[in-house]
Amino acid sequence: MGGKPVWFIACGVVFVALSSANVRSALAETIAEKVEVCAGCHGQGGKPIDAMTPIIWGQQSGYIYIQLRDFKRGDRKSEVMQPIASSFEKQDMLAIAEYFSSKPWPDLGQPRSAKENAERALRAEHSVGCTGCHLDQFQGSGTVPRLAGQSREYLTKTIADFRTRTRGNNPGMSDLMLATPPDDLAALEDYLAGL
Amino acid sequence: MNSYSIAYATLFGLGCVLAGPSGAQEVKQDPWSPSREAKIAPVTQAQLDSADKNTANFLLTNGNYAQTRFHPARQINRDTVKNLHVAWIFQTDVKESMETSPIVVDGVMFVTTSFSHVYALDAKTGQQLWHYNHKMAPVTTFCCGPNNRGVQVLGDLVYLATLDSKLVALNAKTGDVVWKTDIADPELGYSETMAPTVVKDKVLIGTNGGEYGIRGFLRAYDAKTGKLVWNFDTIPEKSVGVWATKDATGRDMHRDIAAEKAQLAKSGDPYAKLGGGVWQNPAVDLATNRIYFVVGNPSPDLDGAVRPGDNLYTDSLVALDLDTGKYVCHFQYIAHDVWDLDAVSPAVLVNVRSKDGKSIPGVIHAGKTGHIYVHDRKDCSLIRFSEAMVPQENMWVLPTKEGARMLPGANGGVEWSPIATDPDQGLAYAINLHQPMHYRVENSAYPNGKLWLGGAFTAIADEKQSGNITAVNYDTGKIKWQVKTPEPMIGGILATAGGLVFTGEGNGKFAAYNSSTGKELWSFHAGAGVNAPPSSYMVGGKQYIVVGAGGNTQVNFRRGNNIVAFTLD
Ligand code: HEC
Ligand code: HEC
Repeated sequence: MGGKPVWFIACGVVFVALSSANVRSALAETIAEKVEVCAGCHGQGGKPIDAMTPIIWGQQSGYIYIQLRDFKRGDRKSEVMQPIASSFEKQDMLAIAEYFSSKPWPDLGQPRSAKENAERALRAEHSVGCTGCHLDQFQGSGTVPRLAGQSREYLTKTIADFRTRTRGNNPGMSDLMLATPPDDLAALEDYLAGL
Repeated sequence: MNSYSIAYATLFGLGCVLAGPSGAQEVKQDPWSPSREAKIAPVTQAQLDSADKNTANFLLTNGNYAQTRFHPARQINRDTVKNLHVAWIFQTDVKESMETSPIVVDGVMFVTTSFSHVYALDAKTGQQLWHYNHKMAPVTTFCCGPNNRGVQVLGDLVYLATLDSKLVALNAKTGDVVWKTDIADPELGYSETMAPTVVKDKVLIGTNGGEYGIRGFLRAYDAKTGKLVWNFDTIPEKSVGVWATKDATGRDMHRDIAAEKAQLAKSGDPYAKLGGGVWQNPAVDLATNRIYFVVGNPSPDLDGAVRPGDNLYTDSLVALDLDTGKYVCHFQYIAHDVWDLDAVSPAVLVNVRSKDGKSIPGVIHAGKTGHIYVHDRKDCSLIRFSEAMVPQENMWVLPTKEGARMLPGANGGVEWSPIATDPDQGLAYAINLHQPMHYRVENSAYPNGKLWLGGAFTAIADEKQSGNITAVNYDTGKIKWQVKTPEPMIGGILATAGGLVFTGEGNGKFAAYNSSTGKELWSFHAGAGVNAPPSSYMVGGKQYIVVGAGGNTQVNFRRGNNIVAFTLD
């Protein structure tokens, strides 16, 4: 939490400065409009309104784009997100993804995992190789999401959805979650939320 | 727009860029450091052709077109190696998995990092000359880390293939982009991590994506313009093959041919989504104008039910005509692979003993199975395979829903790590992993470019993992010596005319061994995993050894951002 937030405020100022000087970038405006609705659930300052809603501020842009695409295609089912995403074209989704990915990841203040749990989580990580895709410290990259600090309840829900293939937009992740014992997954959820 | 607001927009715009989410992997460095020119003469084809005899330079990913990784300099040798010490350490801006093979041209070194950065360095001092920071497209889909294995130089261009599946030619002096070509669509699972091989004005490049249901290829692009010259699909439209029931070593693979045939009648040839990535550089046979390379696993990795047949040319050695890309011959190691024990370590051209004892042009490949396979270059046929370099147990048990234990684990044996050879001793040097694993199968339909594993392989938590460095006599198939290491090995190895081999470990150790006996003669601890192939070169009359120490994503070895060069006191 050093200088970063200051710069992000500066980013906000660009929009204001541009529009007040009547030099609207059409895209900037429509994106600003399009993302207004998101704050209602994903949070004004990036903290989602409830624990079942994932953090999207600071998430990887490739991942956000692919999720919006999948919601629209119906590859990922969600009564809430599908109607929202279905109005977007590819360019909108890319711009929205870029917009949210350049926001700072919020701190939900979730507690660090107890030692025993953390050890169990890391053993499971070592067996499945989660960081082989989610990268060091579970920060993600491209179309692989950041998991570190994600809402615990959401992680639990989406991992359960992968296991039942209710979340069917990534069978590879479903296979991996099915290969991981439920106790290990519980430890991982706790551990990831606390990172 | 008035000029006032333009100025503001620019200023704040810049602020936004600076504040952009610097991934956890990005570290420091002064973004304003002035760039200097890399003063090198254009690299000629003649230089590349004779790279195997060039003590000053390291011009190709694996040393030369035959990919022997045998460097002819001998200043650093069995007697002098004890005096080897750090000449310099360069820290890149990216602290992630490092798999780069440093390329050295006339005292200038080119290295790459994860996320497709390129640096030109003064090979004597380690000073940065320029840095190419690739602007990555948002969508990248890759397996096993955002790696990059290096560049190659021809003329005054440096060639790079990027994680977002682009081919880029940079000005070797300045690092400016000269041309850029889209190779394939990352949204469908394509990505690039390999270094290109450039030969006779063609840039040869394969693709990753065997975990995403791609259709693999090896391609030639025009080195001057970036236009496609030819394309070879690693999966032919008739991918079914001969219904082979045994692997290259004669062991039964427990295929249910009747079930596969029934599936074939129902769903047809699965060629369109069958995978078959090419992870590593082809070897070039200048005498016959052919290239030799290996093709990776079928998609989905562990579920064979949806892909009846031998799944040609996955898990195979393939030879093509360099000028046309036309098929010459192939040899499949594992038909209808359901263990991801595919072919990734680059093929190497050496003369080998034929079955009747004659010296003939051969081609060798080190498999994830733990065998080194020795082929006749004429028709790709198998002459022999080596003793197994790692424990093999329960081969080929079929993956189950609950998980079936089998050795080797799915990373090998020998992963992508290039081998080295010493043709005078007839030895091939390979680094191996030993990771006991459970193989599990799951069934799902093609997921539109998403991860398509068809199950999972998981390391068995309470079984010990280890690694080894193994020297194999490729004329007999016998193991000459083996050094055990505490952790699985991934990265690469270099042999030199000084009678040494150099290789690194995930715990940061980098060491030199007597290439005839395996005796350790020197070592160094880099702090981060040394999981990249070393190179050697000479500048100012002194020989250097250089290696990346950045750890490894796939096996989760400690990350770093160091390029470390060593020379003699
Ligand atoms: C009415 C509440 C609501 C609104 C409004 C909303 N979301 Fe969501 N969003 C959710 C919920 C709940 C989920 C989790 C769905 C699930 O569990 O599968 C979600 C999931 C997502 C995800 C997937 C995140 C992940 O980690 O997988 C993305 C991306 C996303 N939303 C983006 C947006 C964007 C962009 C907007 C505005 C255009 C938006 N959402 C508006 C509730 C909302
Ligand atoms: C082979 C690569 C790979 C491995 C290994 C892997 N993941 Fe994933 N994971 C992905 C990808 C890709 C996605 C994005 C899924 C999508 O496209 O919707 C993902 C998504 C997720 C999500 C959903 C996040 C969100 O915001 O909705 C969770 C949770 C997750 N992974 C946890 C894990 C855990 C825990 C492990 C190890 C036990 C693991 N993953 C191993 C590639 C991988």
